[in-house]
Amino acid sequence: MPFPGGPDPVRRRLLGGLAAAGGVLVGHGALVGLVTFTPAAEGAGLLALAVVADLARCTGCRTCEAACSASNQRVEIGGRFLPGLGDPHLANIRVHSFLPEVDVPVTCALCPDAPCVAACPVPSDERRRKALYRHRRLHTVVNDPVRCLGCRACAAACAQQRGGILRSDPATGHPTGMCTLCGGEPQCALACPFGALSLVRGAVEAGLAGRPPEELAKAMMARWYGAEEAP
Amino acid sequence: MNGVFGHLLEVDLAAGSVGQRAIPAVWYADFLGGRGLGARLLWDLLPAPGVDPLGPDNPLLFLAGPLAGLPVPSASRTCVVTKSPCTTPASSPYPHASTVSYSNVGGFFGPALRFAGHDGLLLRGIAPEPVVLVIDGDQVEVRPAGDLWGLGTDAFERALKKRLGSREYEVVSIGPAGEAVCSRACIIHTAARAAGRGVGAVMGAKRVKGIAVRGTRMPTVHDHRAFLRALECTRRRFEGLTGSLYGQIYRRAGTAVFIQIASNGGIMAVRNFREGTFPEAGSIGAKAARQQVWVRSSACRYCRLACKKSGQVRDGPYVHTVHDGPEYETGTMFGANLQIEDLGGVLRACTLGDDLGLDIIATGNALGFLMEAREKGHLDPSFLEGLDLRWGAAEPVLEMIGRIARREGVGDLVSQGTRVLSWALGPHTAPYAMHVKGMELAAHNVHAHPERGLCYATANRGACHLSGDDKHHQDFAAAADCTGVCLFAATPGGLQPGIGATDFAALLTAITGEDWDEARFLRMGERVFALERLFNQREGFTAADDSLPERFFTEPLTVGKRAGAVLDRGAFAESLRAWRLQRGYDPDSGQPTAGTLTGLGLTGPEAPWASASP
Repeated sequence: MPFPGGPDPVRRRLLGGLAAAGGVLVGHGALVGLVTFTPAAEGAGLLALAVVADLARCTGCRTCEAACSASNQRVEIGGRFLPGLGDPHLANIRVHSFLPEVDVPVTCALCPDAPCVAACPVPSDERRRKALYRHRRLHTVVNDPVRCLGCRACAAACAQQRGGILRSDPATGHPTGMCTLCGGEPQCALACPFGALSLVRGAVEAGLAGRPPEELAKAMMARWYGAEEAP
Repeated sequence: MNGVFGHLLEVDLAAGSVGQRAIPAVWYADFLGGRGLGARLLWDLLPAPGVDPLGPDNPLLFLAGPLAGLPVPSASRTCVVTKSPCTTPASSPYPHASTVSYSNVGGFFGPALRFAGHDGLLLRGIAPEPVVLVIDGDQVEVRPAGDLWGLGTDAFERALKKRLGSREYEVVSIGPAGEAVCSRACIIHTAARAAGRGVGAVMGAKRVKGIAVRGTRMPTVHDHRAFLRALECTRRRFEGLTGSLYGQIYRRAGTAVFIQIASNGGIMAVRNFREGTFPEAGSIGAKAARQQVWVRSSACRYCRLACKKSGQVRDGPYVHTVHDGPEYETGTMFGANLQIEDLGGVLRACTLGDDLGLDIIATGNALGFLMEAREKGHLDPSFLEGLDLRWGAAEPVLEMIGRIARREGVGDLVSQGTRVLSWALGPHTAPYAMHVKGMELAAHNVHAHPERGLCYATANRGACHLSGDDKHHQDFAAAADCTGVCLFAATPGGLQPGIGATDFAALLTAITGEDWDEARFLRMGERVFALERLFNQREGFTAADDSLPERFFTEPLTVGKRAGAVLDRGAFAESLRAWRLQRGYDPDSGQPTAGTLTGLGLTGPEAPWASASP
């Protein structure tokens, strides 16, 4: 289901554009892949999708936060699960804003080496899954709440080694904030009014991929403003 | 009423105590939030005229609307309401008489207030030392901020977020101008977004350097399904806006595009409003800025227009980071109005104004007045204390901006605004002192634009360009300002695309659970406008204060395609009279009649709403 009020024309434009683009987005000026895995690294035949952000297009409007939250935090009304109100604090994507003006959308990077999955202490089961594991089709990071110990090791690994988008639920310790790719139709990208977020297939080649927002912002500040100061 | 938290956060700065002020349900029903709720609160908090705007009794209100925090496109605005430190009536029996002030700032602050679980923030009293206010949901702390006092707004916002260890805080602050209680100080958000026209002086007088807000609550709605439907409709309406020429212009160039358009049309503030066309507009306009300065656009929360442009002046004597600009107002007031055609100089002045927290409209206006007074020989040579302030020269302007903000030497006098300056220089300077009710005119010339002249003359905070050019626009603008939605995204109807009164009504019905329609929405705007006027009336403002500077009636434009244009005094008086009649105000005294007030639910100017106790 699309983001409440999500404009259909934009959605069609976006998906149509992607089909034409053929999934190759490499080396553009300020295009930063939020993911950097390649299908080859995980075995042939994997359908590898990812949300990437074009920092030169992002205006910091945070429409993506509301779209993500509305889609992933549904509310049950009269037996139906409707999109939520879009509480940005429950979103799996977060825009980090800096001065001078740089806005960095950060979402689960679906890292090829997945430090979060590596940190999970729960032993693999017969399907070779820990409590935290990769989704077979979408390759997203998924938590099994039944087996999860709530030890918070995954969130710590993400905070220490990556952008820190993975958080622990304060009560249960279970990880939240993993990108679900909304089943293959990421609502953040569909709702972005500025075309800054895209769903791409395959490898994204960029030196800044998957880095913390401070590092991304610093690089952009140097590029756009000549500013040396760390944020 | 549903959809609101039902209270404001209230901070007594003198005692350092924090509490909550419950808002009666009927106030929400009649005034909603933002500018309207601010007017209603101000009426009660200042029950008698004559209160010093810079004293402990003047409240400073930050108000979000009921749409703020919900993903309604462009519902990002915060309304700052207080008694103005800038305006004065022609005559009044009361000391410190001034109008209401309603400054509107975009960005992220209003939604953050709602995420913290509050509909607004009320500051009272004066802190014994410089403080910052840190609001983390229900946790509120008044912290000493002596070591941050003196920082520019840019450095302060970064320093405070660093100190708090989180970028999730949204910050508003004053710069050195507010600290010096310069009457034309602003409250600044994200280094460039400004609640202008003097509200920073009130914050500075209270010794509040800055306010940081965050929270993880979420506003609720009465009818989830209906809200999703109304939101869908509003988003589609916004798609129409961003797809239109108007929307494309805003996305591409922000308001700066009007620098060229207004100049071509003869309605720009040029040379202290002597002219309406600036032949060099191209050198300070959007096209030049796109080529030389801008690198990107910024949007306020959930906005799809992104009219704010930032970048870098890369060469010349003024190399620096540009947080925003030129916009139409800032580029015109520091550019065309002072005949400065050096884009780098204009932008340096804008950046300086933002960083010092100084109102750029008022400052550009006062500087234009000084340049003209000097040209006309109305200034004593020693008056400017060695500053070579003249048309087209950026360097002395930059120096003077600093002196105004810090109230050094002659800057202290200039900081009190064009009207006070004119009083100091003598009555022969009055015809070109460009203010209404003591508030400086914005960047719109009205020789060839009598509708905007009416807007200036009748706006309740003095010469405001955003309050609406006729009754319908005024009512619509006042109502939209109650919701938290940006005026750039809202449309009063007609051919202009955007969020209209019916969209607002659908959203409000879903959120509040009350019956809203277009008529009720506009009537709320009419009520807010009338209440603000009652406030001004109580302070001693009369029909004589609904006036325009003499220049527009006596000195026709001489250049541009509107050369020869001048306002007709009789026609203008007639339009004022017609406006009063249309509003149900007495055509001579300008006062709302008893019948009008009753019809709006304002039962008598002496004791309005006596029957509507909470």
